[in-house]
Amino acid sequence: MFKVISHTANLTRSQLSRSLPAFSTSATRLAGDPTSRKEAPIIDNESVLTLPEKAKERKALDTAIVVPVKVDLSPITGVPEEHVKTRRVRIYQPAKNAMQSGTNNIHHWEMEFDTRQRWENPLMGWTSTGDPLSNMKVQFSSPDEAIEHCEKNGWIWYLDIPKTEKQFKPKNYGVNFSWNRRTRVSTK
Amino acid sequence: MLRQPLSRALALTSPTRAAPLAARRFAEQVQARPDNVEVFIDDQPVYVPPGTTVLQAAAQVGVEIPRFCYHERLAVAGNCRMCLVEVEKSPKPVAACAMPVMKGMRVKTNSDLTRKAREGVMEFLLVNHPLDCPICDQGGECDLQDQSMAFGSDKSRFTDIHFSGKRAVEDKDVGPLIKTIMTRCIHCTRCIRFASEVAGVDDFGTTGRGTDMQVGTYVEKMFLSELSGNIIDLCPVGALTSKPYSFAARPWETRRIDSVDVLDPLGSNIVVATRTNEVLRILPRTNEEINEEWLADKSRFACDGLKRQRLVTPMMADSRGNLTPCEWEDAIVAAARALRDCPPDKLVAVSGDLADAESLVALKDLLNKLGSENTCTEQYFPLEGSGIDFRSSYLLNTKIANVEEADFVLLIGTNVRFEAPLLNARIRKAFIHKETDVALVGPKVDLTYDYMHVGDSASIVKDLATGTSAHEVLKRLESAKRPVVILGADQLKTQEGSALLAYTQELALRLQDKLQDKNWKVLNVLQRTASQVAALDIGYKPGVGKVLEAGPKVVYLLGADAGVVTRESLPKDAVVIYQGHHGDVGAQAADIVLPGAAYTEKRATYVNAEGRAQQTLVAVTPPGKAREDWKIIRALSEVVGERLPYDNLDEVRTRMSEISPALVSYGDVQDNNYFAQARALAQSLQKPVSGKLDVQLKTLEDYFMTDSISRASPTMAKCVQAVLKQKQSPY
Amino acid sequence: MSARQAIQVGTKTVKPVLSSSQGEARSRVLSLYKAWYRQIPYLVKDFDIPKSDEQCRAKLKEIFLKNKDVTDIRVIDILVIKGQMELKESVKMWKQKGHIMAYFKPTEEPKPKDFLSKFFSSNE
Repeated sequence: MFKVISHTANLTRSQLSRSLPAFSTSATRLAGDPTSRKEAPIIDNESVLTLPEKAKERKALDTAIVVPVKVDLSPITGVPEEHVKTRRVRIYQPAKNAMQSGTNNIHHWEMEFDTRQRWENPLMGWTSTGDPLSNMKVQFSSPDEAIEHCEKNGWIWYLDIPKTEKQFKPKNYGVNFSWNRRTRVSTK
Repeated sequence: MLRQPLSRALALTSPTRAAPLAARRFAEQVQARPDNVEVFIDDQPVYVPPGTTVLQAAAQVGVEIPRFCYHERLAVAGNCRMCLVEVEKSPKPVAACAMPVMKGMRVKTNSDLTRKAREGVMEFLLVNHPLDCPICDQGGECDLQDQSMAFGSDKSRFTDIHFSGKRAVEDKDVGPLIKTIMTRCIHCTRCIRFASEVAGVDDFGTTGRGTDMQVGTYVEKMFLSELSGNIIDLCPVGALTSKPYSFAARPWETRRIDSVDVLDPLGSNIVVATRTNEVLRILPRTNEEINEEWLADKSRFACDGLKRQRLVTPMMADSRGNLTPCEWEDAIVAAARALRDCPPDKLVAVSGDLADAESLVALKDLLNKLGSENTCTEQYFPLEGSGIDFRSSYLLNTKIANVEEADFVLLIGTNVRFEAPLLNARIRKAFIHKETDVALVGPKVDLTYDYMHVGDSASIVKDLATGTSAHEVLKRLESAKRPVVILGADQLKTQEGSALLAYTQELALRLQDKLQDKNWKVLNVLQRTASQVAALDIGYKPGVGKVLEAGPKVVYLLGADAGVVTRESLPKDAVVIYQGHHGDVGAQAADIVLPGAAYTEKRATYVNAEGRAQQTLVAVTPPGKAREDWKIIRALSEVVGERLPYDNLDEVRTRMSEISPALVSYGDVQDNNYFAQARALAQSLQKPVSGKLDVQLKTLEDYFMTDSISRASPTMAKCVQAVLKQKQSPY
Repeated sequence: MSARQAIQVGTKTVKPVLSSSQGEARSRVLSLYKAWYRQIPYLVKDFDIPKSDEQCRAKLKEIFLKNKDVTDIRVIDILVIKGQMELKESVKMWKQKGHIMAYFKPTEEPKPKDFLSKFFSSNE
């Protein structure tokens, strides 16, 4: 109990002059002069129960700092310097597999690193590589997100925009049987 | 089943299959469309032009309706019934791929009726489909597998295995590229439509009805097309699979690297599938501006040539003249010594078919630093007049995609079908869908569509250019709204090349000046190789004739395998340095061999015939001690003592952009101008011509082996054999 | 295909991680450095590593100076937190000798730096 009281005293101290008692006993609350109070000021439980260090920390977090827009996370990501500076990231939209007609798995953007050496491991015949980033394919919903991610990580990137847009042309079953056009089919 | 009227069957045999004039206007009658109609796909409103099919309208709002027979680049067949959907107020489900939308139509793509219909169709398809997915090459990328997972029934009612069993069909032999397992066929007829519409080889068809229906050629024969590999992609099941790739890998084991093809001048976009540092197969990648989603057979199947005949270690000629393997240090030092001791005017560099822009730039920089200006390419191009000063003089200015819009195409001395198969596919597309007519000056070849053959003498071009020709073609060209003139670069090799080019320029410009559409370009020169445009952009001199006459001391061959530089054409004491990836003609003549990387092994720039820079990506690492090409030249430069100022690829590319920004603006192509200036400079070159135009690639067997990679490919060799055999005994 | 573009210039306002100013972050870094510096003699003794105090101090300085160009206060704070974790792991002997020696990379073969030796040694 004593702890709480002394804590409260500490909390309010800054507002009070040193010569005055830590808390007032008056009932009404008058600004500035604690001697005119009849009751102790109401302090919410939350701030009473937080430790002073915590409170200070929280206060610091409420403030804001100014940082450059360009964030460079490469010192803290733990990625070896070699793989930050010498790698190139390709940002692209995955190509449709020519063997399939479905397109559900290509509506996003991806990033991948340049290919490094791979070899067949003599033990099991699996593929080995010395490149820690060779399997890192990250998916994004837009190229901007991918670019921002690469910028943050300090990778050199380039954007590969597929030329897949085509003019819309209505298809027509009837042209197969058109009498005066070359679209008429001869075989079935 | 042939379904054509007699008159049309007769028309097929006539040389000009031009439709009557009344019909031609039909294509131009595409006027401003009436307002879009509103339809509802799963209650989502969408506005589409009238005549659009339900399936297309659904695609507009991102609803994908399952399909087997429908393919957006082929005609609508409507026979698989997988795309059945429920339409409100319609008594039965409708086939979305063939049904045009109507105003206010409400389509339900996920209703109970739709799902039941799909399940029923799946069940019928699977009744006669073998359960051999574990041994099927399509497994993992099979539309039937995918769709039976998504839309099929969870249980089987098939109990007949003890009686008549499943339907079985005899396999067909359609050549060394395509393996057929016809029992798996679900009769979607995509291959038939591709063969007759795109490939223009009307061999496939169906015979029989019901259970007895079979897809095939009726009389067994090879599928004689340069685009045959595409039916492997089109086949939604495993009925048509790749023979060279059979049982090689599963799709989930491979890594796919997007790259660019270099075996023809178009630079088709490809996906290279690799596993354990080995290229397993090459598939097309959609690029609407170049290859749509097709790929020519050489580009697709020549990849096994990347594993054979490779140069894997540096080599030097020993005292008896045999090439023996050595270390990089020795080879580089020997090459550097040869370069340094050579007087600058006796130093020559020759670039070949498959050289990338980076190494071309590095080699030219090195030679210039050594004081030599003798950098040249194997292919010739006339230097008289404006020569190669204007980019427009040696490019496909119309651009590949725009050829579709043309209404008259004049081919001069080129067999587009084999020099650039996908450009030919575009012309054929225009021929069929836009009623475009084609005329050819040159030897009579099979272009897969009917054309007017004007003759094969060069003087015809002169007559057309001067407007004195009496041939119908001149009239047609002059009345055309969007004419295209394509000149084969091979014709420019001869003495009359410059005159022929001058006349072609004159003709094209005369037509272009009269056009209403001021942005339409008429003049096209079709290069033969993937490296030529980049080399000319960088400033290589076309042709080796003059420099060889001067008796060079050191010849640096950068993948020059076309055989224009031979030992016999050089002085006895000349040193030949060959840098490249295949032991072919060039390496045979060399004293020092520096092993380079093939196009799947380096990140390199190639400029296609339109002038579009594209880059290949590293799919596998170069074999053995082979190195990336520009690095070899960079290392050599340091040993020579003339260090080139770039250490990594980005710096090389900066240097390239200094030479020409077009070399690094990847994927894009600029419009070319300066036609008038080129024409003015060529005026004096319009001398009389008398020769005959001839093309190198006449028939299919000539097509398969044209460069060091395809010459090393066993599959391509098999293709040549098969085509010859087919010709000997057609049936 | 567009090249790398300079899109990110200027500053923005964010919530801090620990420090609310450049000065505060700096003092955190300095106190971390001092803590490490004072701990070095004990680390050398406790882990019995074949390095002298001076070598360790030089290495400490090198590791700190590697990030001298970091200006983002949040990144500095995270680096300080990570450094503190490392320190604690070392002091509490949660690390082993090899972990401490890893700062010196004793087994790493230096990769060739100039173009020619890179060219001759490998194809990367």
